[in-house]
Formats: sequence, C-alpha cells, structure tokens
Amino acid sequence: MKHYLILAIALLICSPLPVSADFFSAIQSIVKPDSKEGKILAGATQMFASSRDIDYKTEKTIGEGLALDGLTRFGNPVNNEQLQQYVNLVGTALAANCKRSTITYSFAVLDSPVQNAFAVPGGVIFISRALFGILDNEAELAGVLAHELGHVAAKHALKSTQRAQLLQGAGTITAASVGGGQGKKLADTIGSMQTVLFDKGLDKDMEYEADLAAMETAYRTGYDPAAFIRVLEKLQKLENTSKEKNGSWFSTHPPLAERIARLKAQLATYPDYAKQAHVDSRFQRYLKMK
Amino acid sequence: MRGMKGEPMGIKVGICAVVLMCTSLAWGEEIRWVSSAGTTLKAEASATSENVAELPVGAEVTVVETGGRWLMVRSAAGVNGWVYAGRLAETKPVAEVTGSDDPLFGDSMKKSQITTAKADSARSIRGLSPETAAYAKSRGTSELSKKSLEKIMGRKVSPTELKSFLKEGKLGEYAQMTGGNQ
Repeated sequence: MKHYLILAIALLICSPLPVSADFFSAIQSIVKPDSKEGKILAGATQMFASSRDIDYKTEKTIGEGLALDGLTRFGNPVNNEQLQQYVNLVGTALAANCKRSTITYSFAVLDSPVQNAFAVPGGVIFISRALFGILDNEAELAGVLAHELGHVAAKHALKSTQRAQLLQGAGTITAASVGGGQGKKLADTIGSMQTVLFDKGLDKDMEYEADLAAMETAYRTGYDPAAFIRVLEKLQKLENTSKEKNGSWFSTHPPLAERIARLKAQLATYPDYAKQAHVDSRFQRYLKMK
Repeated sequence: MRGMKGEPMGIKVGICAVVLMCTSLAWGEEIRWVSSAGTTLKAEASATSENVAELPVGAEVTVVETGGRWLMVRSAAGVNGWVYAGRLAETKPVAEVTGSDDPLFGDSMKKSQITTAKADSARSIRGLSPETAAYAKSRGTSELSKKSLEKIMGRKVSPTELKSFLKEGKLGEYAQMTGGNQ
C-alpha cells in the first residue's frame, strides 16, 4: 500500500494541481518516519517547504541588506542615468518572460573592475562595469541578466543557506524586530548568504539551472539564446589572464567548459535561434557610457 | 481479490485511477497561463493587429491553434484571439507569499500581486524600507551606498517605455524574423 501512496504523491507533486502542507502532514501520519517511504516523504516535504519558507516582504528585506553589503564590497553604481535606465529596460523586458514575472526587479551597473554579476533575493540585480565591457550586443547583456533573473525566480540564495531557516516561524521582519532578537538572525542570514553569493558561489546545479533559464527567458523575449554561450566563451578566454578573480564569475561559478557544453546541448531546442535579435547598434551606444 | 502483499486490489486500482484521472484532466488540455503584464489578445497574429481582449498575469487560457510564435487561444470568458507565445507560460506563475495569505490556493494570486505592487510603489516614494534602514544602521553602511540603493529601487520602467523599447529593438512580438542583427 505504501508504495502506491508514494506513487500517488510523486504524481501529484509532478502534476500542475495544487498540493497543501496539510496533505503532507496527513500522509506522514500513516508512514513510519524511519522507513524508506518515510525518508522519501521527508525529502518531498522539505522540497515543498523550501518554496514557501519566507514571505516576499522578508525576502526583500534580506535582499536589500545583501544589496547594501554588495554595494559596499563591489562599488557603487556607474554615475550615468541613461546607461542605468537602459539596463533596466533590458532587464524589465526579460523579467516579463521569466518564471517569476509577478515581482518588480531593479537592475544596476556597478563601477567595479571585477567581472561579475549577481542577484539578491527579492529582485535587485547587479552587473559590473567590467563584465558589461566585454559584451558586444544587447542579446549578450540579456543572457547575463536572464541568468541572474533565473536565480531570483528559483530563490536559489534563500535555499542555499540553512540560516534562512532560522527566520521561519518568526513572522515577517519589522523595523522594531531588527533592533531586537531578530536583528541578529537577520545579520546572520545575510552574512551567510554573502559568503555564498560573493565568495563560495551557489550550488553548481543551481548555476546550471539558471543557465538554462537564461536561454529560455532570452529566447521568449526575442533575443538570440546563443548569445549567452558567447559570453561564457569570452569569459573562458579571459579566465587564464584575469588578474582579479576574487569575487568574480570565475571564482563563484562552476567550470565554464561544463556550462558551455550543457548550453550548447540545450541550443538544439531552439531551432530558429539564429534568427533571433542581437540588437548591436543600440547596445554600442550605451557601451560607450559605461 | 488481493495483491501480492495482501492489500485489496480494489483499493490499489482506486488510488491509481483517482490520481491518473486528476492528472490527466490537467494534462489533457493544452492550458497555458499569462506570464507577462500588459498581455492582449489580438484579432490576427501580429503585434499591430486590433486588440480583442486584455488578459491579466495569471489568467488561464486554452490553446486552440498554433501559428509559429503566435498562438490562437480561448480565454476563460470564451473569447478567442492570437497571443505572442512568449507572453504565456506552461506553468502557473508563482504567487508571492504575503504573510497570512496562503499562496497556493484559490484566488490569492491576484491579492498577492496587488499587495506586491502596492509595496513596490510605496517603496519608490519613501526610499529604503524601515527594516533595511535599521539593518544599514546596525552595519554602519555609508550614506552613499544607502542613497545608491534607494535610487536603484526607485528607478521605474513604464509600460509605454517598455513597448517603445521592444519596438525599437524589434524584439518579441515586434520581431520581423528576417535575421539576427539590426
């Protein structure tokens, strides 16, 4: 009987039908926790719970704290309003077609010599002046921003830190609680995420997932999805000669050769990719402003 | 009749039948969801064609006919029209968790989006949230970084600006599909 229950659970999780937390609790009550089925159920429950851990307001608070620390570490935005607005237009166009199109995203070019891009929970996305500078067209910029959108959409940073779990059950963070006991938890959470985002990097499977999401989002928006592969190929050439690797895409992401191979395999699912837009001339106008 | 381990076969068959029925009902029809704000159904498969209906994010549509990158769909209100495939998703857009609201059921999608939009709109007026300001104070974050983040989050793209941008770049539904470079 238990095997049939597991089969039923698997089918329901895979189906587009809504599944509730109560459903998992009810099933768990009839399965021994230390049995094989119990362990599978525990994993399924954890997966389910991870997607509903933290409310959007708290996610934004964590993200904004991380963004402030990111600005302190990597530099403030390039002082050119036209350039910043342009990157916001590209990013907003992409965001409408990503897997989490229901929140507001913000994008900024940071005045940093390190080739890097990163996203914080809640939707603030940064690209460094150095990474922007190696791009040749808007489709390449779209690939980088869409990769970061993929991380926010899948809540990768939140899922990467056990400390985020500490905020569960504590309710939404408020200004008053930041000054109290929750302030320590918030600082610990942000500190842990900083290490993941800025130094260690996210889990490599999350990076591969964001890569595939980048191609899909870019394609749905009308950009050539292969442009993102070209960005990675440029980074691959630069990797050996780059002086500043600390905090860059080289140090925080999986090997570029593997990422490129996976993306090239995925490109077959976009037979008309070569006909998609690159938007060279508009990009070149803004490239000069960086 | 009993199965190998003694459970009544009828129960096994019943469980599988119910699950398969539920899932096949959902999978049997080609259902998609609107994932982009400002989505409209068009009379023809062209961005410049007449608008037939407006569809909010999260609206469910049934695919009637495919035409390359455009799809003929039927809305919940029974209106047929063409929509650019990039504006639809194969899975329901994720609603945001907004505290006591249960994000996974019923009509909370719309409510959550309104809450999110209000929160974001208010943010652009008043700058950093009190929570973020308190965190910045505890960290001794510089005024320059605080002002920078305020400015980043206050920058908005209007639907009109976005439409002009897509048109100029010949992107998405404005693509002419004659080659990659413009």
